[in-house]
Amino acid sequence: MTQVTLSGLTKIFDEKSPPAVDQLNLEIESGKLTALLGPSGCGKTTTMKMIAGLLRPTSGDITFNGESILSIPPEDRGAVMVFQNYLLFPYMTIAENIGFGLKMRKVDRKEIRTRVTDMLDLVQLPGFEDRKPRQLSGGQQQRIALARALIVQPNVLLLDEPLSNLDAHLRDEMRELIRRIQTEMAITTVFVTHDQEEAVVLADRIALLFDGRLQQFDVPDAFFESPQSVEIAKFFGGTNFIPGHYEGGEITTAIGRFRAPRSAVDGGDAVLSIRPEAVTLGSDGGNSVMGRIRSHVYVGRYARFRVALGDIEVEAITDPAQVKLFNDGDEVPVRFDSNKIWVIGPASSQP
Amino acid sequence: MKWPEPVSRTRRLSRTSLSEKAAQRLTIALLLTPAILVILLLFMGGLITGFLRSLGYFPLIGLNDFNFAAYTTIFTDNGFIRSFILTFHIAFTSTLIASILAVASAMLLRPAFRGKRFVQFIFSLNLTIPHLVGAVGVLYLFSGSGLVSRLATGAGLIDSPAGFPAMVNDPWAIGIIIQYVWKEIPFIGVIVLAILLSVGEDYESVARSLGANRWQAFRNVTLPLIMPGVVSASVIVFAFTFGAFEIPWLLGSTFPKALPVLAFESYTDVDLAARPQAMAMAMVIAVMSSLMILAYMKVSRRYVRS
Repeated sequence: MTQVTLSGLTKIFDEKSPPAVDQLNLEIESGKLTALLGPSGCGKTTTMKMIAGLLRPTSGDITFNGESILSIPPEDRGAVMVFQNYLLFPYMTIAENIGFGLKMRKVDRKEIRTRVTDMLDLVQLPGFEDRKPRQLSGGQQQRIALARALIVQPNVLLLDEPLSNLDAHLRDEMRELIRRIQTEMAITTVFVTHDQEEAVVLADRIALLFDGRLQQFDVPDAFFESPQSVEIAKFFGGTNFIPGHYEGGEITTAIGRFRAPRSAVDGGDAVLSIRPEAVTLGSDGGNSVMGRIRSHVYVGRYARFRVALGDIEVEAITDPAQVKLFNDGDEVPVRFDSNKIWVIGPASSQP
Repeated sequence: MKWPEPVSRTRRLSRTSLSEKAAQRLTIALLLTPAILVILLLFMGGLITGFLRSLGYFPLIGLNDFNFAAYTTIFTDNGFIRSFILTFHIAFTSTLIASILAVASAMLLRPAFRGKRFVQFIFSLNLTIPHLVGAVGVLYLFSGSGLVSRLATGAGLIDSPAGFPAMVNDPWAIGIIIQYVWKEIPFIGVIVLAILLSVGEDYESVARSLGANRWQAFRNVTLPLIMPGVVSASVIVFAFTFGAFEIPWLLGSTFPKALPVLAFESYTDVDLAARPQAMAMAMVIAVMSSLMILAYMKVSRRYVRS
C-alpha cells in the first residue's frame, strides 16, 4: 500500500512556453484508483512520467508514503507504467514479455515461468505463453501489457489511457478487469485519460487538469453536481449557464429569479448552471419560466430540445416520448429543479 | 458546372483488361531495359568472362582447356591463404569496431540537445570524403614520420619517431582498419540513428519502469530493436571492405597483401599465365561479397516482417 503525494510539482520543458505541469498538489490515496483527467496537452502524461521516474520534475516533490523518491531511479521506484500503445517487446514471446521485469530482477527461471502462468490466468489469456505480440489483438496486447506490469507487484500502477484504444464492448471488459485486479491486489493506481466518461466509470477520485494546473480533485459525481467552475462544468457536458446575481439562496437572472440552495460561492455575481438532464419541460410551479421551443432532436434513448428563454437559449435532455408532446415553436413552461441548480462563481474570477 | 462522375475503385479495376495490364508490364520492362543492359553486359559479362578465365579458358593467349589449376594453385599457396586471412581480418575487425562505435555515437546523438544539428552535420561529414583522402589523412597522422609520431616524440612518450609503433603498412593492417573505421562509423551510425529515432524511447521507458537499469534496458530492449539495422549496415560495410582495393594498396603491408591487391598485381603481372589465378582470386572475392549480400537480404527481410 503506497500513498503518493505530489507537492508543488512543476515541469517546464521550454522556458518560453508555460509550464507543462504547474504547481501540482495532489494526495493520491493508497490502494485507490485515481484518474488524471484533462484535454490533450494538459500535462497529465507528463505528471505520470514524473511519478514513474521517466521525467525529472523542474521543481516540487513526489513522495511515496512520505518519503521523497526523486533521487530513486525508475527501476527502483516500483512505479510501473503501462503505455497507451502497449509497447510489448516485438521480438519476445508473450511469456518473455510478461517475465521481463522478473528477469531484470534476476529471479529464478522456474519461478518466472510459474508466475507468468499465474498472470496469464489473471488476465484471462491462459496458454498464450509462446505467441508473439503481433499475433494478438489490441485488447489482448493490452492485457499482456497489464500482466507484464502486475507481475513485478508494483507499489504504484500507472496506466496511460487504458481504455481509449479499445472498442466499446472491450472497454467494458477491460474496465471490469482493471477494477477487479485493482481491488484484489489493492494497488495504488493512477490512470491518465482525456475522456471524462472513462474517468467517471473507472476512478474513485478524479483530478482534473487544465493547462498543467489542477482544477478540481474530487469524487466522480461531484464533477456533475458541484463543478467548481464553468470550464469544469463544460468539460463534463454541462451546457446551460445563465449569468446573474446570487444572494440569500436565490439567483436573479435576466430571465427571472430562481431558488438555488446549492452553490460554490457565498454571494455576488455568479452563474446559474443546470445540466440539460435536469431541465424539465411542460411542468410549472416553483422555479419555472415560460420558453419557446426552437428545435429538437430525437436520439432514441433520449430527446434533446433547444428552448429560448428570452434572449437565452437552454438545452434540455428529456424522455424520448416528449417529442410527441411538443412541437417547435410551442410555448412551454420550463422548470429548473432548485436542488439541481448549482451556482458557480463568475467565469472571469476562475483561475 | 457539371462535375465528372466519380469513378469507383472496383469499376476502374474491372475495366482494366488483361491486355492493358500486359501493356503496362511491357512499358515497365522497356523502361528498365537500359539499366538491365548495363548490368548484364558490364557486370554479368565481366563476371562470366572472369569466371571462364579463372577456369583457364583464355583463347587469346592460347589457353583453351577448362581446369581448376588456378584454384588449386591459389588454395595451396600459403601466400594466398595468408592474404585471405588478412583480408578477412581487415573486413571483420573494421566492421566490428565501426559498428560498436557507430551504435555508441547514435545513442549519444539521439537525445535532443543544444547544437545537435551542428554535431550531426560534423558526424556525417566524412560520408562525403573519398576513401583515398582518408587514406592520405591516415598516412599523415599515423605513419612513422606522421603527426602523431612526432607529437609523441615531442611529448617525450617515445625517444624518436622511429620508436613509434608501425601503424601504416604494418602486418596487422592497423592503418587500413583505422581508415575504414573512420569512414564507416557515420555510415552505420546514420542508419542506426534513423532506426533509433523511429523506434523512439518508449520501449526503453517501459523497460526502465519494469525494473531494468540503464544497461539492462539497452542490452535487452534497445539493442535487439536496432540489431537488424546494425547487421544490415555492417554486412554492406563488410562486403565493401573485403573487396576494396585502394586503401589496402596505399596503407597495406608488402606481405601479406590484401586479396584485392594480390589479385590486381597478379592480373597486371607480365606473366600472362598468372591471369587465371588473378581471376580465381577475384572470384573468391565475388563469392564472399555475394554471400554477404545474401545474408543482408535475409536479415533485412526478417526486419521488414517484424
